[in-house]
Amino acid sequence: MDRSFERLTLPARVESVRVFHQFVRSGAEAVGLGSADMNKLDLVLEEILVNIARYAYEGGSGDVQVAYSTEPGSLLVEVTDGGRSFNPLDSAPPDLALGLADRPIGGLGVLLVRQIVGSLSYRRQDGQNTLSFRFPGPGPIST
Amino acid sequence: MMNIEATQFEKAILLKVSGRMDAENAVEFDKACDLWISQGGKHLIADLSDLQYVSSMGLRSFLAAAQRLKSVSGSLMLCGLKGLPRQVFEMTKLDTLFRIYETAEQALATL
Repeated sequence: MDRSFERLTLPARVESVRVFHQFVRSGAEAVGLGSADMNKLDLVLEEILVNIARYAYEGGSGDVQVAYSTEPGSLLVEVTDGGRSFNPLDSAPPDLALGLADRPIGGLGVLLVRQIVGSLSYRRQDGQNTLSFRFPGPGPIST
Repeated sequence: MMNIEATQFEKAILLKVSGRMDAENAVEFDKACDLWISQGGKHLIADLSDLQYVSSMGLRSFLAAAQRLKSVSGSLMLCGLKGLPRQVFEMTKLDTLFRIYETAEQALATL
């Protein structure tokens, strides 16, 4: 059976994140997610979208699309951009054992996404990057 | 979306950060910290009891402020951490790098 998606496309900029939050929250409300889960979903989306806004178009500009499909009690979310080929799941995890003075500033966003949703998939197709995940996922803190 | 209220004590500045701290507004926290550090403040206490949301951009701000203060023999202490912000600090193990107290009074009492 074909899955139906709600879609929103906006410029890949940090200023678009809150609009995407509102958009996906409509779906989250429809499947009955509570406010704690909605904040976690906001966090996952923000981390993915900020990465795209900062790195996908290498100083240029472009769009990003967020799509979601509702399922009983959960959402399937896809985030697609037309920027350079980049699989955030390939990036090395930050060293969490380093002390305060040595801890690099950054690299924590992908870690948070992985911890919260547990399972993410990436595909590169027709010059586009798509990250997809189910929320709530099987992540360790998805309560 | 985010509000920062500063209170000056004899030995520290208390910054009460409430609302949502995200990629768009985390820089406001940077500016508040810069202001106090430029005025000679060494110890900052961030009261996060009314903070509902923090993303990695917010974590960068806490980390950057803590590193700046450490370089001048000062400190950034946190208090009132709970809910999603606490989980975010725990997931990134940043909770092991900060002195975290239940209340601002407890943090102040250590100085």
